[in-house]
Amino acid sequence: MKRSCRIWNVRPHRRMMRKTIALFLLFAVSAAGAADLPPLGHNMNPISPPLAAPDFNLPDMDGESHALSDFRGKVVMLNFWATWCPPCRREMPSMQRLFEKYSERGLVVVAVNQFEDPDLVFEFTGRLGLEPTFPILFDRESRVSEQYKVKGLPTTYLLDKQGRIRYRAIGGREFDHPEVEALIEGLL
Amino acid sequence: MHRGWAKTCMALLLVASGIQPAVSEQDGVTTSTDPDTGIKRWKFAADGLDIELIQVPPDFIRASYSARGLPASVSEAVATRCVFGTIVRNVSDRPLSYRVADWRYVDAEGVERPIKTKSEWLEEWHGMGVRFSWSILADDPTFAVGDWIQGFTTLAEPHGSRVSLKVVWSIEGKRYEKVLSNLECAPAPENDA
Repeated sequence: MKRSCRIWNVRPHRRMMRKTIALFLLFAVSAAGAADLPPLGHNMNPISPPLAAPDFNLPDMDGESHALSDFRGKVVMLNFWATWCPPCRREMPSMQRLFEKYSERGLVVVAVNQFEDPDLVFEFTGRLGLEPTFPILFDRESRVSEQYKVKGLPTTYLLDKQGRIRYRAIGGREFDHPEVEALIEGLL
Repeated sequence: MHRGWAKTCMALLLVASGIQPAVSEQDGVTTSTDPDTGIKRWKFAADGLDIELIQVPPDFIRASYSARGLPASVSEAVATRCVFGTIVRNVSDRPLSYRVADWRYVDAEGVERPIKTKSEWLEEWHGMGVRFSWSILADDPTFAVGDWIQGFTTLAEPHGSRVSLKVVWSIEGKRYEKVLSNLECAPAPENDA
């Protein structure tokens, strides 16, 4: 865990910022009705005809660069997200479970964070019940999300082994559902 | 500012505690008010659309934008408006689309006004060198089955105003509209009054 020391090295103003974000998240969840949140859906919609997924090169938490084309030959779940987005937070554990189930068979999950500081995201992922082990990349100026015409967060694409966009979901989903797993089985 | 912020935080903690809000329904619109925080929300679902509007207090806009390092000029421009957190879902079995440019609100004097769209906000922000592209409701999406989105709807009205909002959407070329009446903008923080 390369960044395990960073959490202890937070500057005071960042602590304040993080408290503020936590309060904002609390509001966002409350505003959406914490007590009666509807269940997340589990469908992904086909893109017909399939579109070539734009390549990109983005840094991970440690500043190491990753290109989408590095994953050619694998099925890729490409998720655009941010910590302040409640449905992004809700769906992330299901992506991790899906990744754990299918990674050895060739599924890669790539979570592309929008606008946020890697320090903040690192701390956030440490608080999740199921910490992601898939790569989290940083699209600080949202240039990649613009390429993919992302209208809102979260938005998730499922890419086939040839790097084509085959399915899309706008809004949070439970990804470790048999319906999504059947799509992945069909692409593997 | 400090006292107002602390009070709001306490109120929101109470919201999170799960205390049930007071609920009423009129003309297909369900209105609920949290008894502890006073935060109001309106929900309507018909003809394939499910929409929910939630008051957003200006202090939260200031805090959340500030937390992302956005300049005060950006946060103030939004926080001084009447803002509703807006959740839009396609609950039909066909693609649904809407354009915020087609939506209108009616102010307390009965004047119909357009809504500042996400594209207009982004043009302003990007012109200031701010590359933040989120938080405002997407202005022209097409939703496949099960898709949904959330974001701020910003009206150029003072805090505490009463407005009606005309929402327009279409499914396979058929146009629908609904007026959600008597919405209340979040009140101004006490120290701003």
